[in-house]
Amino acid sequence: MEIVRLGALGGLLGLDATGVGQFMLSRPIVAGTLTGWLLGDVATGATVGVLLELYLLVSFPTGGARFPEGSTATVVAVACAVPFSGAGALPLAIAAGLVWGQVGGATITAQRRLNSRLVPEPGDTRSSPSAVVVAHVAAIGLDFARAATVTFSGVLVGRTVVRALVERWPMSMPSSTGLLLMGGAVSAGILLRDLGGFRRRRVWFAAGLGLGIVGARLL
Amino acid sequence: MTRPLSRVVVISTLVRSFLVQGSWNYHTMLGLGFAFAMLPGLRRIFGADADRLDAAVARHFEHFNAHPYLVTVALGAVLKLEADGTDPQVVRRFKLAVRGPLGSVGDTLVWATWLPGVAVLALALYWLGVPGWITAVFFLLTYNAGHVGLRVWGLRAGLRSGHDVARSLGAADLVGWARRMQPGVVLALGVLSGAVLGGEGGLADAGIPWSVLAMAGFLVGLIGGHRAWRPAAVAIVAAIGAIAGWGVIT
Repeated sequence: MEIVRLGALGGLLGLDATGVGQFMLSRPIVAGTLTGWLLGDVATGATVGVLLELYLLVSFPTGGARFPEGSTATVVAVACAVPFSGAGALPLAIAAGLVWGQVGGATITAQRRLNSRLVPEPGDTRSSPSAVVVAHVAAIGLDFARAATVTFSGVLVGRTVVRALVERWPMSMPSSTGLLLMGGAVSAGILLRDLGGFRRRRVWFAAGLGLGIVGARLL
Repeated sequence: MTRPLSRVVVISTLVRSFLVQGSWNYHTMLGLGFAFAMLPGLRRIFGADADRLDAAVARHFEHFNAHPYLVTVALGAVLKLEADGTDPQVVRRFKLAVRGPLGSVGDTLVWATWLPGVAVLALALYWLGVPGWITAVFFLLTYNAGHVGLRVWGLRAGLRSGHDVARSLGAADLVGWARRMQPGVVLALGVLSGAVLGGEGGLADAGIPWSVLAMAGFLVGLIGGHRAWRPAAVAIVAAIGAIAGWGVIT
């Protein structure tokens, strides 16, 4: 039953990413917390969500761009992290999420191709208001089914892989976190470049860096 | 004769604008979603004249694209044009003219500034010790205050200005707002970087080698830009796989 609930959550969050609302419930920072809450471990869900949000900071659902699907990636990653203990659970779950995010992205592209067939042609007899509603709602329904299926299969595959590897993970927890943060740092660098680059924004960035270090020590 | 738009129609259009990308496709992009969102207004305007209603619907599911939040500007303006009985060719030309600016302004303001800005701020709070669920709630409330506000503003501006909505867009100076926000986002990104470097459970605990590697990763992103993202993600997944494999072998 749990895996069905996870699939349904993945379906709903997948809809939020582009098709319905775009309230950003689908961003990893929120999706991770929601999935953690569903599985009874909000803290792990939030940790996975925060780490994936770092990775996907520069991935946005812009128009026709192909992007990794953060919502299904996050649900899969949290579902893979929560049942297992040990230092390997987090990196293996994040890896499962990143891989499944790419799978989700590929299915979004396929879904959009399929949607092209649902759209009535101008002059088509299907161009009545009710036909527009039916085609639009059908596309939304298909998107839910797509995201739910991607999540469901991702949880099944991911948990199998993590279960097989987690006990043998050779690194400590701090080193595992360091490895994951190294990947997240690439996205932070890309974002700084997008926002004007280091040379132009160095004063603001340095001021923030100092505040962050001091704040982390004091709080 | 056409009938004026009612408050119910305006609210219904706003609600439907949240579903405007539901049938996004490579053929007409937002076209079908645009027609879907226009339907309450078109039904009101053309009433029981089924032929004119069908013709109007067919015109509006043609190819269209815009930022999904700022699409309300086009929805409002086109509804006003239709309610005023404007020539369909003028409406079509208007849609062709606004789709580019609505896309690029929205991308600059929302995708390139507002979303990463709020996300970075929430991440910084988390690394400074705020509980995860509070940062998630903070992110949702802050982000959607801007998101929903932008949709409502766009619809009102479109309905008010119609064909002249470009002036409202220019006066609002949304790209200027994005430019003014960017230093703040960089400041938050700095705070996040500092908190990850020095905070509990971050790079300080992982040790100096990991801090150096993270700085190298940061430089790779800074120099390589978006081209660096996919190779970096692949490298991390491959490294995790290799380490797990090493653990199994040994």
